[in-house]
Amino acid sequence: MTARFFILIARFWQLGPSRFLPPTCRYAPSCSEYTIQAIAKYGAIKGGWLGLKRLLRCHPWGGHGYDPVP
Amino acid sequence: MDNQRNLILAVVLSAVVLFGWDFAVSKFYPEPAKVSQTDTLANTSDPNDASEAQVRSTRHTREGGLTDPADMAEEAQDLKTALASSDRITIDAPEVAGSINPVGARVDDVLLKTHRQTVDKDSGPVRLFSPDGTPAQQFAQFGWIGDDVKLPGASTVWSTDGDVLTHEKPVTLSWDNGEGLTFRLRFSIDDHYMLNVKQIVANRGTGSIVVQPYSFINRTSRTASKDTWNVHSGPIGAFDNSVSFDNDYDDVAETGTVSPGGETEWIGFTDIYWLSALIPQENTSAQSDFRSLGNDKFRADVIYDPVTIPAGKQITRDTQLFVGAKESDVLDAYQEQGISQFGLAIDWGWFRWFEWPIFQLLKKLYSLVGNFGVAIILLTVIIRGLMFPVAQRQFASMAAMRAVQPKMKAIQERYKDDKQQQQQEIMKLYKEEGVNPLAGCLPLVLQIPIFFALYKTLLLAIEMRHKPFVLWIKDLSAPDPATVLNLFGLLPFTPPSFLAIGVLALLLGITMFLQFRLNPSAMDPVQQQMFMIMPWVLMFVMAPFAAGLLLYWITSNILTLAQQRYLYSRHPQLKAQAAKAKD
Repeated sequence: MTARFFILIARFWQLGPSRFLPPTCRYAPSCSEYTIQAIAKYGAIKGGWLGLKRLLRCHPWGGHGYDPVP
Repeated sequence: MDNQRNLILAVVLSAVVLFGWDFAVSKFYPEPAKVSQTDTLANTSDPNDASEAQVRSTRHTREGGLTDPADMAEEAQDLKTALASSDRITIDAPEVAGSINPVGARVDDVLLKTHRQTVDKDSGPVRLFSPDGTPAQQFAQFGWIGDDVKLPGASTVWSTDGDVLTHEKPVTLSWDNGEGLTFRLRFSIDDHYMLNVKQIVANRGTGSIVVQPYSFINRTSRTASKDTWNVHSGPIGAFDNSVSFDNDYDDVAETGTVSPGGETEWIGFTDIYWLSALIPQENTSAQSDFRSLGNDKFRADVIYDPVTIPAGKQITRDTQLFVGAKESDVLDAYQEQGISQFGLAIDWGWFRWFEWPIFQLLKKLYSLVGNFGVAIILLTVIIRGLMFPVAQRQFASMAAMRAVQPKMKAIQERYKDDKQQQQQEIMKLYKEEGVNPLAGCLPLVLQIPIFFALYKTLLLAIEMRHKPFVLWIKDLSAPDPATVLNLFGLLPFTPPSFLAIGVLALLLGITMFLQFRLNPSAMDPVQQQMFMIMPWVLMFVMAPFAAGLLLYWITSNILTLAQQRYLYSRHPQLKAQAAKAKD
């Protein structure tokens, strides 16, 4: 249930704001895609935590490159 | 690609979601419960009153108070008669004026000396309490209930030991029931908004008696400020150490009585800016609830458990009554003194941890410069300053990325069926060419709570009420009063409210338009068109919001413009490309 909700948020972001914003991704796959995959694989809590950690390193001083869900 | 644009867009999008939602909700669900409430209550109590209530509109404004002209006229008339009695005990504290009615020992006349009704300097002080029966009725009463005892009631005439209650001099009302019991109410007030009421019963008789001291606040919901999805106006209280914003007037009207349960820290009614609340004595057992009295009238009760008073003894209950403005420093000070969660009577909501530092910074800046408008501008400068390194890095990486554009195109072409391989190749290219990757989404996501925090702060903070900026802006918490369409009042008509574009909103549209035009990154035609329209749409959307919020946004736009110019001058190749893209 919660997992669904999180995925819904990520999907909303992808279809809404992300469409209109210029590309900003330092990582592949993108944060939203990464979160969706992580939640599908590990469930809401662990997957959500992985997604949050990913978001938190997605800034100009963070890492970059190919970074798939573990 | 451009970080400036990301930031602005994040702000824009969060604003669209925030305000669009608010707008849509109020448009499609215009307070449906209000109607049913009037209907169901029409046949209770005074029929005269009810029919009148139906005729008169109950429009809830941002600040609250009566809105119907007939109500206002009646209120003025009623106050004149109700407050005429010379027996009233005057309240004259540093921030509170008014009087106590010796009939019924009610605190039913409270004015706030330090807050004006309107932005007009000559407008009178804000009235919070108004006697029973007046259109804006709100008052507090203290008493006792019990069986087989003659008790003072609403029509009891009390005698007093003083004519004036000040923060230095308490006043005691007393009443003898003629059967061996003396009731006393000792009122004192501090230099802000807190009254302390000691309810004393002295038993001079021969047998012991049992009474329950009580107190209540009685008010009409017709003067309530507007209850919105993110700012609560209505019944409020703290129970078992947590503040409850859950109860609305409608809920209470529907159920009749709402008993929140748990230990009551304080209970009362709140508007966006004002609060009236009872704080029961600590370490005593008391029950509290909200009651609907019909006809849009409500009560918040504190009823202590029964106490036995043996012959020759006396018993005291010590209740505090807060009636005043929700100034955050004042509330926090009361919380320090032991009133649990009192600072949270301001409905900061989920993002309090974000709003708090911004609010504190804003207050600090205000105390330094003495003008809230200037303080908002400085706050904007600080926030933009903190974001500057991000912007600068972004520009640098953009410049480098332009240089490798052809190679990138080639990679995209070669691996267009395998996205993963494509990404890896692009990353490899970055490394080879020494290009910084893009800024990532965190800076963008962070903007949303910052903007929301500022929006909420400007909405809630009474510190900003009636605070001027310059020229025509006399109240930063209210919408810009100058409307462009009728040439600032020169033409003799008032434009419909959705067309009432203020000067600030116009400036917002213009600065945003200019800023989008300076954006360096190439856009596809659809995006480009959106950016042409967006500023003007937002101009209409933002026009009804607090002038302070618009001021923040305009300043932010201007700073971004300056930043863009500066960074262009450091990366001239970008400028040439941007010019080329425009052609």
